[in-house]
Amino acid sequence: MQAMSALLEALSSFMNPMSLFHVAWATLLGIFVGSLPGLTATMGVALLTTLTYTLDRDTAILVLICMYVGAIYGGSRSAILLNIPGTPASAATSLDGYPLAQRGQAGYAMALATAGSALGTLVGIALLVLLAPPLAEIALNFGSFEFFWLALFGIIISAQLTAETSQLKGYIAGLLGLMVAMIGSEGIHAHVRFNMGFSDLNGGIALIPAMVGAFGFAEVLTVMWRPAGKVVESESRNARTMPKLIDLWRYKFTIGRSGVIGTLVGIIPGVGEDIGAWASYAVAKRFSKERDQFGHGSTEGLTAAETGNSAVVPGALIPALTLAVPGSAPAAVLIAALFIHGIRPGPMIMIEQPDFIYSVAAMLVLATIAIAIFGLSLTRVFVLILKVPRELLMPVVFTLCVIGPYALTQRHFDIWVMLVFGLVGFILRQMKYPMAPLVLGIILGSLLDKSLRRGLTLSNGDIAPFFTRPISLTFAVVIVVTILLSIPPVRRQLTRLFSAKEMT
Amino acid sequence: MRLESPIADRITGLILFALGISMLVGGFTMDRLEIRQIHPASIPGLLPMGLGLAMALCAFLLILSTLQSESARYDSTREGVSTNLPNEKSKSEEPGSYTNLLVTVFLTVGYGAGLVGHVPFVVATAIFIFLFSLYFLWTGSGTKRKQKSRTITLCAVYAVVFAVGISALFRYGFLVRLP
Repeated sequence: MQAMSALLEALSSFMNPMSLFHVAWATLLGIFVGSLPGLTATMGVALLTTLTYTLDRDTAILVLICMYVGAIYGGSRSAILLNIPGTPASAATSLDGYPLAQRGQAGYAMALATAGSALGTLVGIALLVLLAPPLAEIALNFGSFEFFWLALFGIIISAQLTAETSQLKGYIAGLLGLMVAMIGSEGIHAHVRFNMGFSDLNGGIALIPAMVGAFGFAEVLTVMWRPAGKVVESESRNARTMPKLIDLWRYKFTIGRSGVIGTLVGIIPGVGEDIGAWASYAVAKRFSKERDQFGHGSTEGLTAAETGNSAVVPGALIPALTLAVPGSAPAAVLIAALFIHGIRPGPMIMIEQPDFIYSVAAMLVLATIAIAIFGLSLTRVFVLILKVPRELLMPVVFTLCVIGPYALTQRHFDIWVMLVFGLVGFILRQMKYPMAPLVLGIILGSLLDKSLRRGLTLSNGDIAPFFTRPISLTFAVVIVVTILLSIPPVRRQLTRLFSAKEMT
Repeated sequence: MRLESPIADRITGLILFALGISMLVGGFTMDRLEIRQIHPASIPGLLPMGLGLAMALCAFLLILSTLQSESARYDSTREGVSTNLPNEKSKSEEPGSYTNLLVTVFLTVGYGAGLVGHVPFVVATAIFIFLFSLYFLWTGSGTKRKQKSRTITLCAVYAVVFAVGISALFRYGFLVRLP
């Protein structure tokens, strides 16, 4: 009840023309960014962060959250019309969305995606309001030992779940991120490490130029490299563009379940929206009465995927706000933006700024209302947006990739960082190295380093407290089991063992 | 050479192994700040040493896995089983145009590292957008002279509008001193 009144109070604080104007343009821009293949939510949030320096704290965060929600939702447009997910989060959407579009039901598919996204985000918001304050309270008991394991857990689980072909590549990506975080002045004795003689590296590699490079420039290269997609033109003028309430009611369990799954996936550090969508889709298929239609234009499959990926957004903000550990790549940029605007995410947030979590929830509610309004009313406009030639769009995007990081520090060095991360990020992506663990490594490197050394100092060099404190021990066991399970011979042995047991 | 291939993985593995060893050595030889009498467990090189070791181990396992996959392919080929059967995924992930990629890299890096900072930002941006859009739209602009000149005009107008627009936004909207 107290949470509800705090949420309503936060909502009322945004009920002024200026805030609503910011909600409208930022969400619309987010949908635009998400709907265009090659422009991802991470890139959108990273680029927009560079444009929010002059805004006040709440407006800046409002704008970034609207961009995030809009972009994740917007990815469904191109997934349905082009069979190319606008963002990786919409990969599962294309499985059923595109067949529906081919049948001439693109408008209806987009309407269902809109309803699914809005409902998924609302489920996530409810869980954010319910879970974030107690989680922050639990996190207050975390010491250096627990934070060390938490940082390690985040990177390992992210590497495990986001790796496409080999988990080893996920671990390598995480290690690369951690290595990047070791560059520059360290956080305990201010000793400069690995600057290789360049004074520009004394302050370390800033997250925003690195993210803009890895997610912006690398995307520009990928888009120009790959052949362009074609928009499906099978829609008749009077086709339905509003979701049928009966369909939504029929899928009420799917929506609720996908919302919860998406939010829980969001809470897991560095996993992200695409996994949320796939997990929701897989579970919906398992429990569906019409599972044979999945992949051939199932409205239930489409709803599950969209509900799942959108619910990840509030879910990813739960650890981001309470532990300063991002649940997804865009949430990692949001953490950087929070620091820029003077908010310190982490366990102290409920003590230092107890209303902030409810403000974030209110921002998410407004963004959800905006995607519902724009999604249902501007269906045809988004079809036109998808026809903007990439040859005209990409040079403008790259110009923003150059000027955005420069605007932060006014140093040419950050443009170089962006270029290097873009080129390396492109190569790594083509070699199937996931980007999420790399980003998480850069973000969590400092926490891992400081927690390890502080912990060892507190225990006078004894490593026992890392394994004997209850939370530390739990994290350690989970990490060891996760790593063991990722080793193919161990996994094979276990599978054989279980199948032998089933036989007997 | 494809970027996702055992050979590419092996080369990457070797580079990463060298990187890991370098970090291990770098962490080990890093100043231990004895002069400041810090606790020995808080030396700055501690985590870099661990990361270097972990990276070297992962790189070694990566190289090992490419060797194993190669021998598995050799065995299956010997038994008459082709491992290179086309599947849905490989079809959809066919590499694109390397020429387009190289031109994009040349133009973007040329703009970001060459033009910006040496030429006024608005001019550099106009040149970049014009060249980029013109190169990629040229081939699809038809063969007639009128169509070609229309493409050139479109790209020029587009480049000027966006270069001036972006520059003005950052200069006057966000008060950024442009390079």
